[in-house]
Parts: sequence; C-alpha cells; structure tokens
Amino acid sequence: MLKVENLHVSVGDKEILKGVDLEVKPGEFHVIMGPNGSGKSTLSLTIAGHPKYRVTGGRILFGGEEIHELGPDERARKGILLAFQVPPEVEGVKIIEFLQQVLVELKGIDPAKAYDVIVEKAKELWFKEEDLHRYVNVGFSGGERKRLELLQALLIEPKLLILDEPDSGVDVDSLSIISRKIEELHKNGTAILLITHYGRILEHLDRDVLTVHVMKDGRIVKTGSGELVDRIDREGFAKIFEEVGA
Amino acid sequence: MTETITMSDAKAIIENQIEELAKRNREPEWMTRIRYKALEAFEKAPHNDPVISEEQLLHFIAKPEVEGIPEKIESLDDLPPEMKALLDRLGISEVEQKYIAGLAVQTDTGVVYNQFLQEWSKKGLTVLPTEEAVRKYPEVVKQHFLRLFRVDESKLAAYHTAVWNGGIFVHIKEGLKVPFPLHLFFLIQESALAQAPHIIIIAEPNSEFHLIEGCTSPVLLRHSLHLDMTEAYFGEGSQGQLTVLQNWPEYVHTRPMTRAKIGKNARFINTTVTLGAGKSNIGDPHYWVDENGYVELNGILLGQKDYYIDLGGQMFLQGRGASGINASKSVIMDESKVITRGIITAEAPKTKGHISCDALLMSDKAVMETYPGLVSKVDDAELSHEAAIGKIREEELFYLMSRGLDEEKATQLIVKGFLEPMLKDIPMEFLVEIRRIIELAVSGGM
Ligand SMILES: Nc1ncnc2c1ncn2[C@@H]1O[C@H](COP(=O)(O)OP(=O)(O)OP(=O)(O)O)[C@@H](O)[C@H]1O
Ligand SMILES: [Mg+2]
Repeated sequence: MLKVENLHVSVGDKEILKGVDLEVKPGEFHVIMGPNGSGKSTLSLTIAGHPKYRVTGGRILFGGEEIHELGPDERARKGILLAFQVPPEVEGVKIIEFLQQVLVELKGIDPAKAYDVIVEKAKELWFKEEDLHRYVNVGFSGGERKRLELLQALLIEPKLLILDEPDSGVDVDSLSIISRKIEELHKNGTAILLITHYGRILEHLDRDVLTVHVMKDGRIVKTGSGELVDRIDREGFAKIFEEVGA
Repeated sequence: MTETITMSDAKAIIENQIEELAKRNREPEWMTRIRYKALEAFEKAPHNDPVISEEQLLHFIAKPEVEGIPEKIESLDDLPPEMKALLDRLGISEVEQKYIAGLAVQTDTGVVYNQFLQEWSKKGLTVLPTEEAVRKYPEVVKQHFLRLFRVDESKLAAYHTAVWNGGIFVHIKEGLKVPFPLHLFFLIQESALAQAPHIIIIAEPNSEFHLIEGCTSPVLLRHSLHLDMTEAYFGEGSQGQLTVLQNWPEYVHTRPMTRAKIGKNARFINTTVTLGAGKSNIGDPHYWVDENGYVELNGILLGQKDYYIDLGGQMFLQGRGASGINASKSVIMDESKVITRGIITAEAPKTKGHISCDALLMSDKAVMETYPGLVSKVDDAELSHEAAIGKIREEELFYLMSRGLDEEKATQLIVKGFLEPMLKDIPMEFLVEIRRIIELAVSGGM
C-alpha cells in the first residue's frame, strides 16, 4: 500500500533523508525507532505532504500511485493520516466545527450526524462535550493534544495511520487508552506506522505482528521483528549500530 | 470631472438643500439656524482627508449620485446583475434583500420592527427618525445635537451638519433594560441630497441596551460619499453596545463620525464590522470616559481590492479609574491598505488603557500600518499596546489540510478563526452571514 523507494529529502539546502526504503502493506503494523534527529518526523511529514520537505530523489507510492506531487489534502483523501508529534494550535477554530467539516468533506456525513458521532467518540478518549468547543489545541497540554490526534484517527479511520510519538509526554493512564485505541484501529484494518522511543506503548501487542525499523542519520539501518523493540529498550542503539556497521 | 465646481457654487447648492430640508421636515427654526451656521463655517473649516481632495468634495456636493445605478428599483429584479448574483450567493433572506435594495425603506419612518418598538415605547424606549425627534422633543434634541462636535472643526463635519438628513434618535429612560438587540436599518433614497444621517443615542442612568446598525449585505447606494454622525451619551451606570455592520459597495467613500460621552460607572462597547469597506473608509471616533467608566472599541476590518481603511479612535480617560480598550483585527487581501491609529490619553489617576492590533496579510500587496498612541498625564496610569501583523502560518495550514480540507477551505477556517474572538457579542443570525461573507471574500468570490 505504501511504498517508499530510495527517498531523499531536503529542507533548504540540508539533506535530511538520504535514501529511505520502506514498504507497508494493508493491515500491517510497522514501528520506527531511532535517536533524536535521525529523520523520523521528516519521513512522516514528507509522506503526509508537508511543503517544507522537498523530495530530491526517489519515490513515494500509495496504492501503486506516485503521490509526491499531491497536496496534503489529496493524500488525506486517499487514506493517509498523520498524527503529529507536535500538533499546532489553531486559534479561533473550534474542535467540533473543524471535525464536523472534516467528516462532511471526507465521509459525506451530514453535519448534525457528524456532531453526534464526534461527541460519542470523544467520550472514549475522555473528552467532554464542552472540551470540543475549545479551539484546536489551544492551551491543550501535551497529553491532551495526543489524545486529540487519536480522536481524529478514530473518526477518519484512515487506510494508513502514521503516529509520530503518540506516547511522548503522556501520563500512564492516557498511554494505556492511547495504546488500546491504536490496537482497535489496527484490528479494524488500518495499517499503522508508529514512531516511538519506548516499547511501552506496544506492551499489549503481539511481537509477531510488528515490523521494526531503526533509523540513523536519515537512513533505515536495520529492519527486524518485534523483539527488536525490547532489545532497544534494554540496550539502546549503540550495539545495533555497531552490528550493522552504521 | 469635467466642469469645475467653485466654493461659491458648492455653498449655493448647500444653501438650496438647507431650504429644501427645512421645508420638507417642517423644521423648527433653531435647527435651520444650526444648518446655516455650519454652512458659514464650511468655507474656512480645515479639510485634511488623505483620499478625498477639496476639489473632489466640492464635486460630491454638486453631484452626490453615482452614475449607472438604476433610477428606480421596484423589485429585486431591477438590481444590477452582479448585485443580484451576490445576494443569491450570500443566501440572504428575501426580506432583508429588500432592505438592502432600498425597497422596503421608508424615508419617513426609517425604523424597522415597529410593533416591538411600540410596545417598548410605553416602558420608556424612544426610537424615532431624527427629523421627527427634532419636532417632537426639541428640548432633548437641543441638548444633545452637535454637543460632541464643532461645526468648524472640519469641512466634513460642517457639510454633514448643514445637510444632515435621516438617522435615528434613541432614548432609553432611567433604569430601563432592553433585553434584546435592537436592529435598525436606515437608508435614505432621496438621491439629490447627500447621505448624511445623524444619530443620537441617550442612555439615561442605569439603563441597558444593544443597538445594531446596518446590515451584513452590500447596500445599494446611489451616493459616492456617506457621512454619518453619531453622538452617544451614557448616564451614570448605564451599559450600552453599539454594533455597526458595514458592507459598502466599492464606489462609496464613507466617513463615519462617532463620539460618545461615558458617565461614571458606565460601559460602552462599540464594535464595527467592516465587511465591505467601500473605496475608502476613514473614521476617528472619540470617547470621553468619566470615573470608573469603561469603553471598548472593537474593529473587525476586511480589506479587499484596493480599499483604503483608516480606523482611529481617541479615548480620553478623564475620571479616576476610567479604562479603555481599542482592539482591532484586520484581514487584508489583494491590494488593500488598513491603518489603525488609536490614541488613549490618561488624564486621571488609576486609569487603564490598552491598544491591540492584529492583522492577517493575505497577499504580498496587502498593506497594514499601525500607529498606537499612549499619552499619560498622570503617574499611575497603566497604558499598554501590542501588535501582531503576519501571514497565515504554514504549520496551521498544513495541519488542517492534512485532515483533508483543501487549501481554500483550510484558509477560510483560519481566517474565520482569527476573527472569531472578536465576534463574541454579535447575534447568531448576523454571525452566520458574516462568516459566509468572509468565506466568499477569502475565496475571491465577492
Ligand atoms: N523544518 C526544518 N528545518 C530545518 N531543519 C530541520 C527541519 N525539520 C527537520 N530538520 C532537521 O532534520 C533532522 C531530523 O529531524 P527530525 O525531526 O526528522 O528527527 P526525529 O527523528 O523526528 O527526532 P526526534 O526523535 O527528536 O523527534 C534534525 O537534524 C532536524 O534539526
Ligand atoms: Mg520527531
């Protein structure tokens, strides 16, 4: 479904991704780990179509079609959704109105019905109806922002959900609800590409379903199965990098 | 401009109009005398308008009508096609469309929602066309007419005073609280005269009201110059809101002149929503605030095409503990230019004033200038200002688009969101239209 081939990406004059290859098939669960600054967010933002990240080589295919000419909105319509590492504040735009419009546009649901659906789903992520009348991310804590990203994923039900550190800055209880909701989406057929620094969010997941990639300096230097997560948790990256000569 | 209009030509024209108005309005002599006094002041009064030259002003006086606007509009079908199309796109109700077209406006009453007003007049709310108030309540009008302006302070003030016609007189008796907004449209179709309505608002002590003036849709005018004057008086402890909705056609120059005296413990919230600014829109409202009084000027400005908007605002904090806020939010598109220049003068102890100016620049040719003025004549006043002028942030736009909204829709959301905090006191029925107009403007459909 998603195929990234020898992807090179620059911001300004600086090359950040230096040849990334990655394939995610429908319904799969992939994990990307790697030190700070290794290019994980850059990869996710590039797939989502952020205009700052310039593709200088390679290809991104989604459903067999090259997408790097498409705008972020067109990619979203094809079924890609990115849950941001740092979701921005959008002053004056109420969550409920924004999400209603998204559901109307993306799924053709009528606004009144959308309202009910949103309020219902929001409860599952501990948002009260009045929270939804606040402005998008404005004054939200780090953990609340992560839950709001997940709420959007539950509502949109994308084909591919990219989660950029959904677990960072999140308390234990929120972490458990977030990880359960990710599993729920996965069970319902959404393919997942999850970026994280810790194995904890994957605690309840069967290691067999996971494919784990390790990034360093703009490249994927190792791909393996679920146990890699636990190994990184225990040992850090140094040994792995040594083994692969990266 | 072919022939030249001289000062004496203009004065002769004004004099004729004064005579005509005096006769038509069966005006008491004292009012006609005020008009003549203004005519006398006109020639010497200073004129410093950055857009309209003196020569141009004399031309407007000689020929107030714009060419090409239909002579007689008897049904909506007589409207110019662009205007009709715009009204349809805005989805405005047929009733309101008629007001916009000037069809349902009567020069003699000029006041909508009569039944409601009759009921409330028994309780002490008077709403009358200003001409009628002059005849009915001469003593009250005398005490409040042209008390906050001087006829010789500018040519525009003098011209307005000489030929004023139309407008509304609102008087709220002591302690009366009017629970819902009064919505007043007033248009004058007497095309040979200048558009110069005069509005008087008198809020007696401890009264409350909210007045909404104008409408959200473009008004079909035959005039190229609109000169309204508003004088508002707030008694001790009164609370009032005046929301002015403006949506002028692109050939109109408007010079709203608003001044208010705010008594002890009184509060005045003055909001102007300028959707269509017209060719140029220049206003410099003045407010004098007494002990513990409060005034707020909120300007919502939408600059389009090559429009020129200049919103001033002078607040004189004269009583101990008086406070004032001058806040504006501007969305500036195309090649339009918006200037804000609020001045707050602290003249008494423990006064507070704040000026804020936020602008969203939607094109490279859009221009915003802001000149905040803070003047303190005492040592314990708190005066501050802030300004934020910028473009739409890429991160926000990308975030909204990454949820499937196209660039236009995402931009509309951000622009509406930018203005949202300032639209808090505006009733729902207008909000819906205001938002729609902003959407249309952002997507270039106006
Ligand atoms: N917009 C940008 N402008 C300049 N440099 C950038 C930009 N985005 C990313 N970079 C740089 O690219 C490199 C990779 O950044 P990226 O955010 O992709 O790392 P990451 O793997 O997500 O790190 P973390 O684990 O800290 O989130 C870093 O050196 C970063 O400073
Ligand atoms: Mg990152």
